[in-house]
Amino acid sequence: MRTPVTTPEHDSRADGTAAIRQPAQRLPLWVNQRLGLLVLTVALAALFGLLRPAFLDERLVLFPLLRDISTLTVVALAQMVVLSVGHMNLAVGRMAAFGALFAGLGYDRLHLPLQLGLLLCLFAGAAIGFLTGWIIARTGVSSFVVTLAMDFALLGLVSLLYSALTENAAFTTQPSGLMDLRSTSLADICVGPVCGSPAVPQMAQFTVLALGGLGFLYTRTRLGRELLLTGANPAAAELSGIPTGRRVILAHALSGLLAALAGFMAAVGTGTFRASIGDDFMLPSFLGAVLGGTLLTGGVVSVLGALLGTSLVGVIRKGLDLLGVGLESLNIYLGCVLLLALSADRVRTVVSYRKVVRST
Amino acid sequence: MITINDRGARTRAVLRRFSRSTTMTLLCVTLAGYLALGVASSGEFFQGPSVRTFLQYLATPILIGLAQMAALCVGQLNLAVGALGGFTACLTGVLMADDGVPAPVAVAAGVLAATLVGLVTGVFIVATRINGFIVTLGTMTILLGAQYRLAGTRTIDGYSPTLKDLGRAAPLNLPLVFLTALAAAALLAAFMYRATAGRRLLAAGGNPLAARLSGISTDRQIVLAHTLSGLLVGVAAVTATASLPGVNRSVGGDWLLPSFAAPIIGGVALNGGSVAVFGTVLAAFVMRLIDAARAQFSLDPSWVNFLIGLVVLGTVVGGRIHQTHLEKKGKAQGRTPPAPVGPGPTAEAAPPNAGGAQ
Repeated sequence: MRTPVTTPEHDSRADGTAAIRQPAQRLPLWVNQRLGLLVLTVALAALFGLLRPAFLDERLVLFPLLRDISTLTVVALAQMVVLSVGHMNLAVGRMAAFGALFAGLGYDRLHLPLQLGLLLCLFAGAAIGFLTGWIIARTGVSSFVVTLAMDFALLGLVSLLYSALTENAAFTTQPSGLMDLRSTSLADICVGPVCGSPAVPQMAQFTVLALGGLGFLYTRTRLGRELLLTGANPAAAELSGIPTGRRVILAHALSGLLAALAGFMAAVGTGTFRASIGDDFMLPSFLGAVLGGTLLTGGVVSVLGALLGTSLVGVIRKGLDLLGVGLESLNIYLGCVLLLALSADRVRTVVSYRKVVRST
Repeated sequence: MITINDRGARTRAVLRRFSRSTTMTLLCVTLAGYLALGVASSGEFFQGPSVRTFLQYLATPILIGLAQMAALCVGQLNLAVGALGGFTACLTGVLMADDGVPAPVAVAAGVLAATLVGLVTGVFIVATRINGFIVTLGTMTILLGAQYRLAGTRTIDGYSPTLKDLGRAAPLNLPLVFLTALAAAALLAAFMYRATAGRRLLAAGGNPLAARLSGISTDRQIVLAHTLSGLLVGVAAVTATASLPGVNRSVGGDWLLPSFAAPIIGGVALNGGSVAVFGTVLAAFVMRLIDAARAQFSLDPSWVNFLIGLVVLGTVVGGRIHQTHLEKKGKAQGRTPPAPVGPGPTAEAAPPNAGGAQ
């Protein structure tokens, strides 16, 4: 929660984002964090595939893996949006549960069709995010505290609502199309004789939409730039006429919306709408965003990086699982990977910065 | 040098005044809540066994709140509080039950291990300059895995009966574990308010640049804060091991949120530079009261989280409004305008920072 941002980080990581156009000085290609992530992910996937050919089984391994990655990428994006204004959202998981609650309620009580339920879910998520953002912007209290309190409050509220509204703490009514959405892959969509890969789940459409939308927002629109500026330097942003309060609210509302989308996807993945959805979202949300190159201090985001970071974690998790590394040790390795990746990144940026400085 | 002394004196005076105001509110809330609960339970709540249970389960919240506070005072967050506590508890349990290590040695080993983990975390943060939030997120993941590996799916309960007796012992209806927590709080208060090392910690947290310019190594303070945090988590884990019927992999799973809630309600600023030992202890009291009230009226356990969330939100928002009100009213003398950076100091944080920190 410190604000000083060292220059090397800004110089090297900003190249993927449109926040700062680099002048003539471009850093060497090997510093590009996203490229490194991509290479690492592909290499690891190939390694796991060699060691355990079952890893490349499209239906049984890759399909659920990609479904998980799709969901967690949206979670990472939800975190990334608030990180872009220099805030945090500790309540991503709870907001996901909150959104999923409304979707389940819509299907169970109002007998909504699939799409309308999803809309209700997104609306609920955006509303709770808006409320959080409003409190933060209005009172100026640190986002960490407010979202922490929100996490507590929603943790209680969602369970209370589930136990009040349902008999066994879960909505099990499934509207038509939900099962299809869960199990459909590109293999079911054929253009003439050519069918897609059975490894890609239909749910990935939401992730692609979210990625595209956010990519457009941050690279092409004025609004996106204003969000980044608010994160990079709130005082300067305020002085240059950006309504920072409103941008903060927007970021939190967007985060709530994305979290609710992730909650919906997780609920579709498991088939029931229950309070435990989103319990384990907090760690992946930070992992994906931070590994992808988004700065905790705000002002620098990487939309694609969120996907790549999440993929790396997903591949490692699945690969180690197939290699027979027990659940208990999985977390140890994941934590080590996180720390190692960040340290390596740190070393890389410092070294490359020195090189650039020396060459000028 | 005179100015520093002056500032020290002034800060202390301001600090004393502020702690009086926040803690007074908390004290009143605690007393009123306790009395109300007593009346609602028609006096049963004041009787020995009830008091004992109440205090028995207060030790861990106090200690983890203090552990988080130790990290917060230099502006660091420690997300690994719960995981480290669970790991230490399981380590102590496994050492005693499986390896037959005598209880005192196992307890010492547990506390030492927790302290060491804190030290390593601090060194890692300082060496790599990665944000402490992310580093502790990483250590949290590693420790969760380590805890699962130690305990697996079993519950370890075959450890030293002496330790369990000590954990349940309660002379004069005051459980030993609660007294341990209070002693730790007193020691921490003495360290923070009286010792030079403690003052250095606060200086480095309040304004790292100024601290560095006046010859304090902020790096060393960060390492010290994490070590201290680890030590306190270790003590918390020992009290948990002693008072719980057994340890398993769920120990520590629900420590993270309360560990933040206690210092925040108690009036500690997230961006460093302030501590409120007594406030944190009282805030743990308030949270325990909510839990006791829930049990008294046999409500859904989810109410506790919901209410704690509202209390945290109410405290910070209320404090903020109070501060804005004060600023409007009197333009408090010598107060610098609030920092332009997003996470502004909470109301309780502002007065100590006014002594030239911000």
